[in-house]
Amino acid sequence: MTRRSVETVGLTKAFGGVVAVDDATVAFQDGKINALIGPNGSGKTTFFNCVTGMIKPDAGRAMYRGQDITSRSPHRIARAGIGRSFQLCRIFPRMTVLENMLVAVRTTSLRAQLASSHNRGDIDRARGWLRRVGIDHLEGVEARNLSYGQQKLLELAGVLMGDPETIMLDEPAGGVNPALIERIAALVRQLNQEGRTFLIVEHNMDLVMSLSDHVVVFDRGRPIAAGPPPVIRADPRVLEAYLGV
Amino acid sequence: MPSVSSLLRLSALVAGAALALSFPMLAPNPYILSAGVVVASYAVFSTSWNFVGGFTGYISLGHGAYVGLGAYGTGLLVIKAGLPSFAALLLSAALVAALAVPIGIASLRVRGASFVIVSISLVLIMLLVFQSWASFTGGSNGLVVPRPFPGLRRPDHHLVFFYLFCALLAVALLSWWIIDRSRFGMGLKAIREDEDKAQSLGTPTFTFKLLAFVASATFTALGGGLYALWFGDLDPVFQFSILTGAYMVLMALLGGVRHLFGPLLGALVVGSALEYFKVEYGSTQLHLVATGLLLAVVVLFMPDGIIPALSDVYKRLFRPGAASIREETAAELRSQAEVRR
Repeated sequence: MTRRSVETVGLTKAFGGVVAVDDATVAFQDGKINALIGPNGSGKTTFFNCVTGMIKPDAGRAMYRGQDITSRSPHRIARAGIGRSFQLCRIFPRMTVLENMLVAVRTTSLRAQLASSHNRGDIDRARGWLRRVGIDHLEGVEARNLSYGQQKLLELAGVLMGDPETIMLDEPAGGVNPALIERIAALVRQLNQEGRTFLIVEHNMDLVMSLSDHVVVFDRGRPIAAGPPPVIRADPRVLEAYLGV
Repeated sequence: MPSVSSLLRLSALVAGAALALSFPMLAPNPYILSAGVVVASYAVFSTSWNFVGGFTGYISLGHGAYVGLGAYGTGLLVIKAGLPSFAALLLSAALVAALAVPIGIASLRVRGASFVIVSISLVLIMLLVFQSWASFTGGSNGLVVPRPFPGLRRPDHHLVFFYLFCALLAVALLSWWIIDRSRFGMGLKAIREDEDKAQSLGTPTFTFKLLAFVASATFTALGGGLYALWFGDLDPVFQFSILTGAYMVLMALLGGVRHLFGPLLGALVVGSALEYFKVEYGSTQLHLVATGLLLAVVVLFMPDGIIPALSDVYKRLFRPGAASIREETAAELRSQAEVRR
């Protein structure tokens, strides 16, 4: 299991004078649950956005399984096998839960594009994922009427609908109650056992330490430490970054 | 086994179509018939606009440009190239479709208010070009387009064009419906909701937007060309008017952009009202005041349009509770928790 997942070499992105990601060279492990942590403003989300093509890096390269994906458009990166969630949960508010799922169906041929979106196969698959995250009873509800936690589950189900091998989650536990955090963590573990790679940005240290196999710590736009949770917990540089001592 | 609601819908559709097709028989005089042609043309325009405005949420105020280009393209191809009228109409629409590709590539890069401004600039540029290039376009003296059926009397001319506009409208509606229920349409609607999110899920948003934009421009140009053949006299001031685009937006918003028949319904209301105001108060600008007021009322009280507003009322009266989230009792939650454990 040492195939390469997401890697970056010298990735750099500045907004005006602020260098959000600064010459970051990182590698994440395929088939594992990877975590990306760091204090607020350390460039984690910008790093995510650079890798998934939402913003173009100023310099450096991003690779996925050895393939260069730098500056590719987001939909091509998604089609290469990387699914992602957003920090402040993004769903399609005026669509029903089921429609939110059907958007994520991937087709290429013109014929398939013009086929009905509400076809049996797609709907069955969508319902399967909705059942798995536990919101299948809400499939006809407009997504804007869901609670925040339910929206988070819907976003995750929508990402899974695209059948990505690698899933990047930006703060999956942010703003979610403890019971739901448990549910999301259990789901991540299961999906990982089924062979999906995870790359998670998270502030909840208990969750990160219990869930992940490999942790990368960012500070001021660059990685300062990487390793399994016990190593990271003992690393003085990490403590310094967090506590500022 | 078709359900009751789909049977109801089908019979409403048949009744509506029958009513539309019998309009020329019901019209008391040729003037009313010609007003019917104008309203039918508005229905074509606003339905065409809705391919981009309704699906993707990109509000184009400059769609009048494609009406004008389709009309002048048809007229000029008949006059300068000597093409048969309907060959000119189709070729003109094809040329507008080709032109819409670079225009779309340039303008669809910006979103929201910026896109609105860019779309307006196109119609203003076209107005200046067609006014100033008088040697080719006839400029402000106008361009007289020969009639396709010179032997027809005026009422019959109106009759034929009323049915031609209805046929074009039917094709536009059918295309919109096919897209609406397709995966492609689902992608377009996702763009309207959250473009970045749609892209992160693998939707090629730019290509999708461009396709919808070109389809919209093409249908609009077909409508414009048909108008040229019907009306027979083109003037840049009217053909490339900012008002044309504004009417298309108003009609679509009034009826409801998320609904197949929304723009058509809006065109029936606004189009009839415009014709009425022009007859009764033609010397004044009252029709513009009325249009403005109507737009304000729609935005304030029916932001989603007439059709959603009516169906909300229907749901509240006849199906209470159907639209809201099912309540879960504490007992249900407990049993769910048990199962999970």
